[in-house]
Amino acid sequence: MPKCLVCYKWTLDEKDIKIKPGDLSLDTSRAKGKISDFDRNAIEEATLIQEQHGGAVHALTYGTSAVKQSLKDVLSRGPETVYWIVDNSAETADACVTANVLAAAIRKLGPYDLIICGEGSSDLFNQQTAARLGALLGLPCVTYVEKLSVDGDTVKATRKLADCTEVATVKGPVVVSVLGTINKPRIPSLKQVLGAAKKPNKEIKIADLGLNAEALQSKAVHKSVKGFVAKRKNIVYKEPNAAANVGKLTSSLAAEGVR
Amino acid sequence: MSILTTEQQEIKQAAREFVAKHIIPNAAEYDRKGDFHSFLLEAAKESKIFTMAIPKKYGGLGYDALTQVVVAEEWGYGCGGMGTTLAAGVLGMDSVLLVGNDEQKQRYFEAIVNGGLSAFALTEPGAGSDAAAVRTTAVRSGDDYVLNGTKCFITNGGYASVYVILAKTDPSKGVKGISAFIVEKGRAGFTVGATDHKLGIRSSNTVELLLKDVHIPASNLLGKEGDGMKIAMMTLDLGRQLIAALAVGIAQRALDECVKYLQQRFPGKMQPGQTLQFKLADMQIQVQAARETLHHTARVRDSGAPFSKESAMAKAVCGDVAMAVTSQAVSLMGSYGYTSAIAKAMRDAKIMQVYEGTNQIQRLVIARAVLSPAPAAGAGQKKAA
Amino acid sequence: MNFQLTEEQQLIEQSAHDFAKEYLDPITGQLDHTVEFPMAVVKELANHDFLGLHLPIEVGGAGAGFVSYVAVIEGLSRSCAAVASIMNNQAMASYAIQHWGSEVQKKQYVQALVKGETIGAFAIYEHGPTPGIGPDALVATKSDGGYALKGTKAYVRNAGVAAVYVVFAVTDPADPKSLTAFVVDAGVKGLRVGEALTTMGLKGCPVADVIFDNVTVPDTAVLGAVKSGGDVAARVLALASVAEAAQTVGIGQAAVEHAAVYAKQRVQFGKPVATLQPVQTLLAEAATDCYLARLGLRSTAQLVEDGKPFETEAAMVKSFLARLGSKILIDTCQVEGGMGYSETMPLPRLFRDIAGTTLLDAPADFPDYAIAASIA
Repeated sequence: MPKCLVCYKWTLDEKDIKIKPGDLSLDTSRAKGKISDFDRNAIEEATLIQEQHGGAVHALTYGTSAVKQSLKDVLSRGPETVYWIVDNSAETADACVTANVLAAAIRKLGPYDLIICGEGSSDLFNQQTAARLGALLGLPCVTYVEKLSVDGDTVKATRKLADCTEVATVKGPVVVSVLGTINKPRIPSLKQVLGAAKKPNKEIKIADLGLNAEALQSKAVHKSVKGFVAKRKNIVYKEPNAAANVGKLTSSLAAEGVR
Repeated sequence: MSILTTEQQEIKQAAREFVAKHIIPNAAEYDRKGDFHSFLLEAAKESKIFTMAIPKKYGGLGYDALTQVVVAEEWGYGCGGMGTTLAAGVLGMDSVLLVGNDEQKQRYFEAIVNGGLSAFALTEPGAGSDAAAVRTTAVRSGDDYVLNGTKCFITNGGYASVYVILAKTDPSKGVKGISAFIVEKGRAGFTVGATDHKLGIRSSNTVELLLKDVHIPASNLLGKEGDGMKIAMMTLDLGRQLIAALAVGIAQRALDECVKYLQQRFPGKMQPGQTLQFKLADMQIQVQAARETLHHTARVRDSGAPFSKESAMAKAVCGDVAMAVTSQAVSLMGSYGYTSAIAKAMRDAKIMQVYEGTNQIQRLVIARAVLSPAPAAGAGQKKAA
Repeated sequence: MNFQLTEEQQLIEQSAHDFAKEYLDPITGQLDHTVEFPMAVVKELANHDFLGLHLPIEVGGAGAGFVSYVAVIEGLSRSCAAVASIMNNQAMASYAIQHWGSEVQKKQYVQALVKGETIGAFAIYEHGPTPGIGPDALVATKSDGGYALKGTKAYVRNAGVAAVYVVFAVTDPADPKSLTAFVVDAGVKGLRVGEALTTMGLKGCPVADVIFDNVTVPDTAVLGAVKSGGDVAARVLALASVAEAAQTVGIGQAAVEHAAVYAKQRVQFGKPVATLQPVQTLLAEAATDCYLARLGLRSTAQLVEDGKPFETEAAMVKSFLARLGSKILIDTCQVEGGMGYSETMPLPRLFRDIAGTTLLDAPADFPDYAIAASIA
């Protein structure tokens, strides 16, 4: 009967973001929010575990006031309650700050048997939250998880790494981060959507977490984000044969600095 | 109604009978299957209908423009798909008619008088509205030209025996580097590619043409090298009138079917209310106005005056009217319309706004004429877009 | 005045989009060819609570409002309007029975319709000018303990697959106002479904005549009160017309988006055709029509949710789209040129589908009558 906590991030939906043609800066004015993709898998995984083993699923998020739009969405996907922390610091929070805040909240809410994160967020993909939470909470951490199973107080995780697959078993509380391939999040039924309104959500005030100013001060600072637009050069190589064309192509690429 | 001579009325009646006998009974089945109507070629050969634009001295019927559009309207009335085959068969040889030398005319027209189908191949995957972007090449090689390239959306392409194909003889010259060639079926390297399955005119044959090192004699060049685009535009000026005629026929048919259905649905004293009546009146106005525009265009052509703008106007208005009238008819005929032949008319009508130059291109031609001063007398045909 | 969907409505709309992507996109092209009733998809609609969206929770529905309903219909229609038609006709039957049915009728049919175990149909139209008039009009002749139904209902959607029909018949052939609604099991003796009609689009939602050859039904088959069929039909058709408008907008929106993507990558005259003003005009007008129609139909749906009169507004939306619905597809197909005419692309199917959602299917007077009458 594991007690699960899912940490999720409410990000902008990248498909709504437009690149301004002049300075390539991003126009996010029409971008809707979404649950970060792998976090959606995390929520689904926790829900599947609960459906199989009982227990509870809570959700936790830290962000700007925009996160309030996420609450019903999250609750329609399985968790019985969602905790949310809203603070301006979230606007510029780096992985360090994020982990500090979440860990402090978890200390307040916990203990949990299983803390599940997405492997990385849809916007920054730092892949640090789970590992930092493990370190801050003194818990083992297993990343790149594409298969998870629970047997009593033991968690078995299959990790999909670049050149191999690894299976790890952990006894006792653990933090995991999951890949998008771990499951296919089900579409919430309408009853689940409408039922979300009846589930509780609770704000956790950052002031109550006992964090000092330094803990909320980002060390990594984003200076700017620019879009990238592929420019077609439309160069056609018209040598008499393929070998000559390849020669021309490689010379052009070398001239551009491609090694 | 445009006042037709007795002879024109007889020709129209003959066309009507041809359509009633061969086209109307078979249209739905061929549309459903999407099969080409080969049987029609036999019937057409017998009635010599393909030859209606070929001068009498070459064995053709030599109809004037007005007579041709009167006939083509009957075809459209019967079926947009079968009408397209016939109309494209006529306009496929317009290029030869316009600029062919005597030997070319003899050769080409003979094929058609003997029942062969023709096709006009300009469009390519990269050259649609931007017709000048033709990339098919024609390289002079001794006494031959060698053609390489791909054409697409070519009507009659899979069944024609003679083709007019536009290709680039001088890549350095842009539009002025395009030339027009006669290509006969059976030339080595000249094959028919994929067949396109379409929303409407489904029984009309629409294919890719693939040219791989196709050798044709230099005597197959139409006009001079570099004349290609001019020839194409002049050909389209003629072809647009026939297509416009098909469109009028489709629209008239839709109107007639709609009236018939409503009279049967509201029999006797239960006349359709005035709202409905006024919609029918509007449809009638549109069809008639389109027809008159087209007939005027044909008369301008028959008078020998320039008619590019007029052809563009006729094609634009007739195509748009066909689309408007058929979709209105389907809407008024409700579920019956949605499950019967009138739905086919609506599908067939859509292409009338697209092929032979989209109605946006037609408007470009018209706008240019509207905005530029009138040409000096005797300036000949204006260049189209 | 709030023109935005509520949070819940947005989530429901999102569910519909996700459902469409998952279950409809993979089958939509194929369905247009095979024209086989997509039972598996209908079961998934039931699993996701879409079939009971508009019905009370007590009967297994989701208890969502009409605004959510039209948002779902639009969302599904962007992907597969045929399935949206099936759902809409199912809803017409389940709504009618839930609203006017006896306890026995509700118990017998509503839950099964919600679960997708039973498919329902709404048989109102006839080949004559108006139900009750014409040689084939469906007449319900009173007999001992029931009625004998004789005649033909035309263009019944879901016919043949439906296990239950909500049927309208006149009890007095001389009086169209005697129209009465009945709930009839598909399996009764004497009920025959005609040959499936070939529709221009919305293929997969079957359409056929339903012939009644002295079908005997008991008094308990009457839905609502005798001779109140006109009211039942009027209300259901008014609601359905708003839902059909949502289909039109969904199909139109899908076409606009596809054409815009196409235009950005199709290069002619050295640049994407999306940079050409005539193409921009076509896209802009189509997008504008969708946007304004959507506002109109959602605003009307809100009136329904608020229990306010909405028939005039419904007629306005219907009339607007009857004028402009097909234009959206005529113009977006135009953007794609020759490719927009090729059935390898989705636009031709959308063209054929949208025409089926803007049919006036009405007697001589049309929505204009209802609209004008309400203004004067």
